[in-house]
Amino acid sequence: MNDIQKRVIRCFANVFPNLREEEIQRASTSSLAAWDSVAHVTLLSAIAEEFGQTFELEDFEELVSYQLIVDHLENKARQA
Amino acid sequence: MTLNQALAIINSRKDGGGEKKLHYLVCGFEPLHLKTFFRAHLFERLPAGDVEVHNGVYGDLPGNLAIAAESPAIGAAVVLEWSDIDPRLGLRSSGGWSEDIKPDILFSAQQCYAYVETALRKLVSRMPAVVVPPSLPLLPIGSTVQAQASIMELELEQQLAAMLIRISKLSGVRILQRSRMDRIPVLERLDVKMELLVGFPYTVSFADVLAGSLADVLYQPVAKKGLITDLDETLWSGIVGEVGVEQVSWHQEHHTQTHGLYQQMLGHLASCGVLLAVCSKNELSTVETALARKDLFFKGDSIFPVCANWEPKSQSVARILRTWNIGEDAVVFVDDSLMELDEVKRAFPGITCLQFPGRDAGKVWHLLCELRDLFGKPLLMEEDRLRQASIRASTQIHEMGGSANSHEFLRSLNGIVTLDWRLDPSEKRPLELINKTNQFNLNGLRISQGEWQKHLEDRNTVLAVVSYTDKFGPLGKVAVVLGTKTKGMLKVSHWVTSCRAFSRRLEHHTLHSLFRHADVEEIQFAFRATDKNQPLQEFFQAIGIERDPEGIYRLSRATFFAKDEVLPHRTQDLIR
Repeated sequence: MNDIQKRVIRCFANVFPNLREEEIQRASTSSLAAWDSVAHVTLLSAIAEEFGQTFELEDFEELVSYQLIVDHLENKARQA
Repeated sequence: MTLNQALAIINSRKDGGGEKKLHYLVCGFEPLHLKTFFRAHLFERLPAGDVEVHNGVYGDLPGNLAIAAESPAIGAAVVLEWSDIDPRLGLRSSGGWSEDIKPDILFSAQQCYAYVETALRKLVSRMPAVVVPPSLPLLPIGSTVQAQASIMELELEQQLAAMLIRISKLSGVRILQRSRMDRIPVLERLDVKMELLVGFPYTVSFADVLAGSLADVLYQPVAKKGLITDLDETLWSGIVGEVGVEQVSWHQEHHTQTHGLYQQMLGHLASCGVLLAVCSKNELSTVETALARKDLFFKGDSIFPVCANWEPKSQSVARILRTWNIGEDAVVFVDDSLMELDEVKRAFPGITCLQFPGRDAGKVWHLLCELRDLFGKPLLMEEDRLRQASIRASTQIHEMGGSANSHEFLRSLNGIVTLDWRLDPSEKRPLELINKTNQFNLNGLRISQGEWQKHLEDRNTVLAVVSYTDKFGPLGKVAVVLGTKTKGMLKVSHWVTSCRAFSRRLEHHTLHSLFRHADVEEIQFAFRATDKNQPLQEFFQAIGIERDPEGIYRLSRATFFAKDEVLPHRTQDLIR
C-alpha cells in the first residue's frame, strides 16, 4: 500500500468510522448506503484538505469510489 | 482545527456513553462542515458525555427556528446569512437585484427580521442561543464602485444593526461579535463553488473559525472575580516611595498613558463588580496618600483591601484572598516584575499571573483585551454591583470580634432572609451561583443553561433562591437550592451558598424554610465531597447529616427540628 492509499484510507475512516480497511478499498457510492450526498462532499473535502488540492465540479460527479479517488490522486501526483 | 481532525474528535467521542447533550444548529443553508466543526468544538468544551447537533431543512430559517424551539436541545446556534434575510441576496437565486427590485428587498428584509425576532423570543425561553449576523459579503448589489458604500448596503446594515440591538436585550440571546470573524478576511470566507454545488457557503477554514466562536460564546469560562494589582510601574509610572506621591504619573502629557489606560480598565472592571485589591511593596501611609489623589482614573475606594508592606507579595496575596474569601483560581494578579509574579505563582498556582508590560503600548493593549476575556460574562447582574460592598460589610462583621457567630450578635444585624420559590427562567443569577460557587457547594456539579431550563419546566422541581439583607446593606441573591419533590420527600441535587454570606446562619434558615415550604418529612442530598466544599462538609457534620448504610445523605424533619434553635433573622417568601 503506497502513501496515497494510506492517506485516502485515513480520510475514509474519518468519514465512515465503522468501515474496515478492506471494506474501504471496495467502497463506492453504489455499494455503500452511508455514502450519501453529504458524506460525499465531506469525504472529498477531507481528501482535498489532506492532499492540499481542490476538486472541480466534475470531480464531485466522477470520483464515486475509493479506487477512482486513488487513481485520480495518483494521476495528479504523476503530473506534478 | 482541520476537517479531518474534527471528524477524528467526533469519532473518538461519540457514543461514548454518558448523557447526550443535544444542540441545535439553526441556519437556512446546508450546514455540512459547520455542523461537523460545531460538534467537534462542543466536544472539546464539554469533557463528559456525548454531544449531538441537530439541524433543520435547507432554505427555511424561520421554520428551523420554530422546530428548534420545540426540540429538547440545551443550546442553539442561529447562523444568519444574507440569503436568509432575502433569497435574492443569495448566490443560488435568480430573482435579481436591479434598482427597481431593491425597495422590495429592503421591505422583505424588515419582515424577515421581525419574524426572526419573534421566533428567537420563543427559542430563548427554552435554551440559550448564540446569534451570528451575516458574515459573508453581500452580492455586488451596489451602484457604486466596491470601494464606495452604496445606500442599499448601508440600509441593509442599518436594519440588521437595529434588529441585533433589539434581540441582544432578550435574556438568553448572545450575539457573536462580528469582528471575531476577522481572522479570516471576508473574501476568504465565501466558497462560491460549494455554495452552488451543495448550498454550503463557507470555506472549510472559515467554518472552523465560526464553529469555534459559536462554542466559545455558548460555553464561556467562568469569569474571574478579583484582580490584585501592583502599584509602582503598573498602576502608575514611577516608584512612589522614591519620587513622591505627586510625581508618579499616568497621563498622556507625561507619556505614561499606558498606565492611565490600565487604570481606566480597572475602573471599568470595578463598575462591573470585579473586586480590586492592591499588593505593593511600599509604606502603607505613602500608598494611602497616593490612592487618595483625585486625578486617578478610577475611584480609589473601589480598591479593598490595600496591602502595602515589605513582606513577600505571596503573604499579602494570602491576606487578600482571606478577606475576599474566594479561591485563588478566581483571581488575577498583575505586576510589572516577573520575579514577583513568579513568587506569587509558586505560592498560588491557581492564580492567573499577568505581567504589566510597561510602556510597550501594543502589549498593554493585549493585556486590556485579555482582562476583558478573563472577567467578561454574558450578563451583568445586580449582585455584581453589590459584591464589593458586601465584602466590606463581612470584614466589618468579622472585625467586631469573636461574637460574630453568637445569636445575639446575628439578631442585632436586623437581617431579612427572602426565599423566592418561583420558577422564573428569565432569572439568571441562580444558575450563575450554581456554576461558580465552590466552597458551600453540595457536589460541585455544574449545569448548562439549557439543562437549567429543563429543570424549571419540570413540575416536580423545587427551587429556592435565597436573598439576604441586614443593617450593613443587601447581599443580594446568595444561595440556591434545586431539588425534586417526590412522595413526601425532597431530593436536593444542587445547593450552593455564596462565600459572602457565610457566618449568618443562612444555611439553617434555608433548611428550615425547605421543610416548611416543600412540606416534606425528609430531605435527601446528592452530596459529593470535592476538594473545595469543606465548608459544606463541616455544616453537614454540625447539623448531623451523615451517609446512611444505603449510601444516602438524608435529614428527617424530626432530626432537624430537634436540633434547630431559634433562627436569628426574619424570613419572608416570594411565591407568585
